[in-house]
Amino acid sequence: MDIQCVSVLPRVCEVLAASGSSLPDDTSLEKLLDWFTATTNTGVSLLESAPCLLDFISNVAFSSTSGPGILSFTLKLTGLIAASEDGFKALEECSVLKLIFDPHHWKEAGLWEDPCLRIGWIQGLRKMLQHSKALRLFVQADLIEPLLQLQTDSSLFVSSAANQLLAHVLLLYQSLSSAGCNGANKRDLEHSGVSEQTIISCSGIITNVSEYLKKSLVLKESSHPPQSQQILKLLTLLLVQLRPPLQEQLLLTVIDSLEELVTKRWSLPLMDVILAANSSLQDDCVSKQQIVRLLSIMLYMKKPADVIQVAAAFLRSRQHDPTHAAYAAGVLLLPLDIATGISLLKTNSTGVDLRILMTEQLKSKSCISMICVCLTNIPQITVMAPDCLPCPQRLIVAAVLTFLRLCRGDSSSSSTACVEVSRFVTGSSKVQKCAMEALSELSKSPEAEALLADVFKLLTEYLNSPDSDPTVLQKSYKALINWIGVCRDFSSITDQLREGLMQAVRKRACDIRWEARDSTVEFLGHLAEVCPIGEEREPLKTLLGSCSFTIPLLKEALQDPESYVRASSIATLAQTLTFSWQQGAALTQEQEEIVTQLQEILSQDSEGFARRAVVKFFTAWFSSCPSPTSCSLLMQSVPSVLSQGVADLDWEVKLHTLELAELLLDKTFPERLPLHPYAVISNQPHTCHAGENESDLLCSLNSLVDQGVVPALLCGLVDCDRPVALKACQLLIKLRDTVSSLLVNAADPRVSCMLPGQSWVQEMRGNKDAHTQGAPHVGSESRDEAAEETPCTDGDAVCVSVCEVLRTLDLDKKLSVLMQSSDHIYNSPLSLLQDILTASTAASNPNSDPGQEVIVDCY
Amino acid sequence: MPEIKVTPLGAGQDVGRSCILVSIGGKNIMLDCGMHMGYNDDRRFPDFSYITQNGRLTDFLDCVIISHFHLDHCGALPYMSEMVGYDGPIYMTHPTKAICPILLEDFRKITVDKKGETNFFTSQMIKDCMKKVIPLNLHQTVQVDDELEIKAYYAGHVLGAAMVHIKVGSESVVYTGDYNMTPDRHLGAAWIDKCRPDILISESTYATTIRDSKRCRERDFLKKVHESIERGGKVLIPVFALGRAQELCILLETFWERMNLKAPIYFSTGLTEKANHYYKLFITWTNQKIRKTFVQRNMFEFKHIKAFDRSYADNPGPMVVFATPGMLHAGQSLQIFKKWAGNEKNMLDVKMQVEYMSFSAHADAKGIMQLIRMAEPRNMLLVHGEAAKMEFLKGKIEQEFSIDCYMPANGETTSVITNPSVPVDMSLNLLKREMALGGPLPDPKKPRAMHGTLIMKENSLKLVSSEQALKELGLNEHQLRFTCRVQLQDPHSDSDTLHRIYTHLKSLLKDYTIQHLPDGTVMVESIVIKVSSSAEDANSKVLLLSWSYQDEDLGSYLSSLLKKGLPT
Repeated sequence: MDIQCVSVLPRVCEVLAASGSSLPDDTSLEKLLDWFTATTNTGVSLLESAPCLLDFISNVAFSSTSGPGILSFTLKLTGLIAASEDGFKALEECSVLKLIFDPHHWKEAGLWEDPCLRIGWIQGLRKMLQHSKALRLFVQADLIEPLLQLQTDSSLFVSSAANQLLAHVLLLYQSLSSAGCNGANKRDLEHSGVSEQTIISCSGIITNVSEYLKKSLVLKESSHPPQSQQILKLLTLLLVQLRPPLQEQLLLTVIDSLEELVTKRWSLPLMDVILAANSSLQDDCVSKQQIVRLLSIMLYMKKPADVIQVAAAFLRSRQHDPTHAAYAAGVLLLPLDIATGISLLKTNSTGVDLRILMTEQLKSKSCISMICVCLTNIPQITVMAPDCLPCPQRLIVAAVLTFLRLCRGDSSSSSTACVEVSRFVTGSSKVQKCAMEALSELSKSPEAEALLADVFKLLTEYLNSPDSDPTVLQKSYKALINWIGVCRDFSSITDQLREGLMQAVRKRACDIRWEARDSTVEFLGHLAEVCPIGEEREPLKTLLGSCSFTIPLLKEALQDPESYVRASSIATLAQTLTFSWQQGAALTQEQEEIVTQLQEILSQDSEGFARRAVVKFFTAWFSSCPSPTSCSLLMQSVPSVLSQGVADLDWEVKLHTLELAELLLDKTFPERLPLHPYAVISNQPHTCHAGENESDLLCSLNSLVDQGVVPALLCGLVDCDRPVALKACQLLIKLRDTVSSLLVNAADPRVSCMLPGQSWVQEMRGNKDAHTQGAPHVGSESRDEAAEETPCTDGDAVCVSVCEVLRTLDLDKKLSVLMQSSDHIYNSPLSLLQDILTASTAASNPNSDPGQEVIVDCY
Repeated sequence: MPEIKVTPLGAGQDVGRSCILVSIGGKNIMLDCGMHMGYNDDRRFPDFSYITQNGRLTDFLDCVIISHFHLDHCGALPYMSEMVGYDGPIYMTHPTKAICPILLEDFRKITVDKKGETNFFTSQMIKDCMKKVIPLNLHQTVQVDDELEIKAYYAGHVLGAAMVHIKVGSESVVYTGDYNMTPDRHLGAAWIDKCRPDILISESTYATTIRDSKRCRERDFLKKVHESIERGGKVLIPVFALGRAQELCILLETFWERMNLKAPIYFSTGLTEKANHYYKLFITWTNQKIRKTFVQRNMFEFKHIKAFDRSYADNPGPMVVFATPGMLHAGQSLQIFKKWAGNEKNMLDVKMQVEYMSFSAHADAKGIMQLIRMAEPRNMLLVHGEAAKMEFLKGKIEQEFSIDCYMPANGETTSVITNPSVPVDMSLNLLKREMALGGPLPDPKKPRAMHGTLIMKENSLKLVSSEQALKELGLNEHQLRFTCRVQLQDPHSDSDTLHRIYTHLKSLLKDYTIQHLPDGTVMVESIVIKVSSSAEDANSKVLLLSWSYQDEDLGSYLSSLLKKGLPT
């Protein structure tokens, strides 16, 4: 703990104990606690380093005049301190522990009503209950009773935390008692502080919990549903976390109640309990059979909406039970079977009754949510073993396709069920989205390729329709990409289909909604990624012609009024052109025009997204070119991209620019690249390369200056955005270490560069003050030695010698400063403590204007 | 009983972040999805695991509605939709949809600047999230699905801020978001229909304040800025790019004009243009005065306010600079701050001479009461305020309006039982018949009972006469009669027994029509009584009683009466 903090802490404690109402903001106490927790985690004893905390806790506990916020904090702090046995002992000695965790104490003070206090009580106990002494206190003070009452608290936060605490108590008991059983050696046990007495006295908890669960789960007319739901959540938690035999012991006490609930008041949390029990119980357990039976009862329920939920929950939980899994899959496919008229299921595989009831249910509005559950769970069905599947996956794909047609109002089937269902699902984007997701997933099915043409046709219909919701369009594109990605044989795609798709894409590229245009442009990018142009298998050519189709669309999108679309089109252009760059193909006239256009965007676009994309375009171009230096247009563009990019207003444009500079740097000094990701990188500066002579280095350095890399890095170094300056600093260190042999000579004016801006003058002056020796050489372009004292400025520009700058700038110091978070001062514990003191002074100052409240808001 | 449930996950007795769950008519709606600016970890976002434990959010929630672009109302949206996973509809007004990403980007920058940030979203996620947003127009009813509809109302506060009326069947809730009831220099005052919602969920930031006239506050602000400028100092005002900044810009611009001041005012580079762009785009959302003068002079093109450049901070002499939080944190204003921090003459809205001044536009106690009068809710629920202040306002509201007022803490659920009124059409015939009976003319203010047959057909309810119902449904009318046998010992002939019954009933039931008919029956109202002797025992008589369902009570009474036997 920082000495300064330790010295301030007593005053802070006084202030907190006296009045907690005048805190700087509502996070102060949590943050204070965070600091205490972090300190404890480093192994420091809180009480040893800050004994004032003990007084603070006593003050608050005995006076009980503090507000619920401070009390809650105090309870948590007490728990934190009592988590160590020493802390526990100290707190017990000043007899504060029992008092502070006694709910009656707080009830009498009228504070228990506040959920904030109850949360503090729970979390405090949770922190404290790490050792047997704490558990003994918990038992002796009979805290299990209030804890059980909190299980169904009116506050969701309290009841949920109470559930967790109860599970924790049982787990602690379990681990202590198993230490008791396995320890064998009594001395070992005593050594670990667990006496037999403790275990016996604690076993009462189990009885309490069992009785509580049994009582709470009895079906009563008056029982409040949300409360019993909370108990079911608790039971699931306990079944998942506890081990045998405790697990089964609890289950046995409630199994009859569960059976009654299963038959009379079904709910999803109840299903969770049964599933948790089924997967966590050993096969030889007494209650296992009963649980399996309950599971069957639930799965074979006749209420369509419920049984679908059960089937979905069952499949999601991945139980190893092929018979039930096959049935559950059948239930989930039933609505599709009925709605589409495609026989996915063998007759009567789910029972005639269910089919009749389901058919009826599909004639009502509630069919939407039921169908959505079916569709979203199709991925669970497709991963099932083929022998469990009720039908070949090909049929499921066909059914989803038919269903998607139904959603567009196109019901070719005359079955009454189809007509009824289509009344509700036509135009419902919720259902369409679910079905599209399912279709995407189904691309993975083994016989997918046979249906490619059908999928193509349907998706084109969706893309073509101006009624399709933008979110549905986005999912249609995703499905298309997934299907194209997995298919190898595109022979089924006729010219007509291809033309249809191209038309639809063209239409959506000038949709009135920017969301649709953006998804279209993004789709073209993804398409280029799944099947690059010119590759031998050339599916893209088959599908969408070639660049002659894509590029004009994208060029148009560069002018889009929405900056998101402009940015996407730039990114897509890069994705589309990557393959030809990789091949080293000569640039076309069109591509040259694009480069000019992109440079215009970089200098003129008012939105950051587009400018960021431009810089990334050049980065992609540079990195995919096998020999970038031989591409003259690229090399011509780079200096202007670097100079414009680094002077941009958007921090991400600047950062991306430095990434481009890094590529150039690595290209110039390739051997400096780490050879292996796990290679040990020496901390020592790289002094000299074998066979490398000074003139080569100078030459390389000069080229970096000419390309604009060095000016960009130097500009970046003084940038006001920390991530930018940090990146620049790291790259400059890299450069400095590479050319270190050049820096030995005091003044090497052979490489110099111009820097814009006043900031550099200051940076230099600052460094000059810091470095009495070896002041940097900052001179005019003519390298006039006489002008050394003051940097020569040409307007705003400054000329500097690169070697001198690299030698004299204390980059390592700068790096350590830049590595710090920008809020490190504000976020330090000391700052927090001072803020608390300041806030309390301000509040207690009678002269302060009462009307001038400190209101933290965002204008 | 149908009920509406409201559970705040945030903004329940606090002003940290707004996120309120509403269950109404089987639909689940999330109102706002805000971020708490005070934390660097997951605590800044609402804990969505409370909504569903293992199901997908999309399955549970029917829609998300965002009231305005402030991050404590929308900051967790990309996290929820792209990282936790929510695929359903998100609604916000057009200006909010346009401006939201700017603020989210600005905040994303701050998080990159800080270290130890966890779980933060990318630019792509912000975009993907925005693509799920369905824009709302004011006063336009949007059908989320067959049953759920929402309608946005003007809320003032910031450009694009809206209140929403959420309706399922006859149940409804209004959520105000942040609002103000007094117009300011660039925005109008909030307004809503008299929509009589079951619950009005209102913010209560200034629950106990009856604010001194805003002019005082403005005068104070101008005085302080002016004093600093006169001393030759520099003023740094941290603001969001959009929102109150425009209000302050207009204020300063007019003041500069009036006082003929020369000191330059700067706004962070690029942002003035952006702000102006949005104000021009959404001019209909500003107040009347601005809309009127827009043609002659654009109020958002300022004469004295110029774009700021880094190097200006070095300029000697007084100046005023507006800076955004993104800037304030690590960017330009941090540098400005460092530069100016040494000089006491400089005023900064942080510690050389730090002044916290509130210009946030929230409704004060008076405004909240005014809104209640406007909307006439059946219940009131307060959020986005401090517990103690809420408690005070709650008392006031319950006293003045005699309605229940709730203020759930985060995680607590308030349930309000609703008595939905079900609208029913009534047939003209039935109305005419009622009129013919001489009742008063129908009056919407005087409820009265009507009798008829209720038909539910194609999602509408209709009250018609039973004859019309039969006709419309193509049904035949059947008469339902109850019969019962009563055994009697009576040593007389059948006809004598019948007569004895007649006289007995005649003496008991004075007010009823009792007839002895020639066909050998006695009739009491619609009840028919016949007598027959048993074949074995002539003294033993069997009485047959038969009555229609209208006379069920009388029929049962007679049968029990006759079971007791006849007077000797």
